[in-house]
Amino acid sequence: MIIFIYLLMGGWLLCSPMLSHASLIQEKKCSECHRLSKDGNEKIGPDLFYAGNKFQASWLKQYLQNPVTIRSAGGTGDPDFLKGTQADSQRHPALSKKDAGQITQELMELILLDLPEKINHLEPLTKGQKAKIKYEFERTFSCISCHQSLNLAGKVRGGISGPSLVNAGNRLQARWVASWLKSPKTYSNKSRMPIYKMEDEARLRLTQFIATLKNENKR
Amino acid sequence: MKKSSPIFILKYCIFLIAVGITGCSEKSAEEPRPPLKTDSLSSTPIEKTTPKPVVVTEKTRETYQWYCAQCHGIKGKGDGINAKFLTVPPRNHTKASYLETRTDEQFFEAIKFGGLSVGRAPCMPAWGNTLSDSTIHELVRYIRELCQCEAL
Repeated sequence: MIIFIYLLMGGWLLCSPMLSHASLIQEKKCSECHRLSKDGNEKIGPDLFYAGNKFQASWLKQYLQNPVTIRSAGGTGDPDFLKGTQADSQRHPALSKKDAGQITQELMELILLDLPEKINHLEPLTKGQKAKIKYEFERTFSCISCHQSLNLAGKVRGGISGPSLVNAGNRLQARWVASWLKSPKTYSNKSRMPIYKMEDEARLRLTQFIATLKNENKR
Repeated sequence: MKKSSPIFILKYCIFLIAVGITGCSEKSAEEPRPPLKTDSLSSTPIEKTTPKPVVVTEKTRETYQWYCAQCHGIKGKGDGINAKFLTVPPRNHTKASYLETRTDEQFFEAIKFGGLSVGRAPCMPAWGNTLSDSTIHELVRYIRELCQCEAL
């Protein structure tokens, strides 16, 4: 048994340099702008240590090849964030299809915790639900003041200090959205977003709404 | 063809009312301020008297910059990066003529429970789960510093 463990350890030691060499995340120096663990201060780019919980793989792969602006005011940790001069200056580098595929695969393995909550985000919303969510999104929780989203006519509306939610239905995993709304501190000790103590029903309703926000629904 | 039938007018009225109550619209900012019902808003009553004088510290200013300045601007002039996207402009915290008509308690409630709680615009969320009461008291003091004014 002990020999077996030694063999395993030996194998791991032999493989680890190869593994680290194979990590494109390291090779591309993603950690210069992104945190890959919760340690240390937040960096200019969004945290990636829970990327596997947060993002949809198909979106990541697309984004890494054709980066688009999600925070038009820049990252919240940026010293110039509040000056409103950051638009597009922090463009993410574009990667080849092959590299984007590999990095996506590596990022999807960065899982912080298990999110077992079931979200019926594929169910279409009724007109009544939409009206209720619109009220909550704009008035009860004031989300629209900092986040762009699509109104009932499919037009982009909202503030820019928070990440745009216009394509959030393609970008984010619904389970992560629900989890973030419940306990943002799990992911970030210092977000500029208020902490909400909302009923589960409202939280899941908002999650469901955010899952409907997609570029293809923009008019 | 009689276009202005009573049913049509009724529908139109309902539509107008619906438009009026949704969205962070200008109309809501002009609504008369309802009486303050603090008891129904929170289980913990608001401190009417603070035991020691509230002092604005560097941390208070940092808190303002981190959260409030997103809409109210770096200098509190109501020109933060979200300002131009809001249907109701964020309050200019340097404008004494308006702010001296509001009490410190009204500021406190607006921050803790959100704009709607004091009959103002719904654009401002409630910060009561994010900031402690003492931090909010400090922010109230800081706004008084920005406007160089006290309640009338």
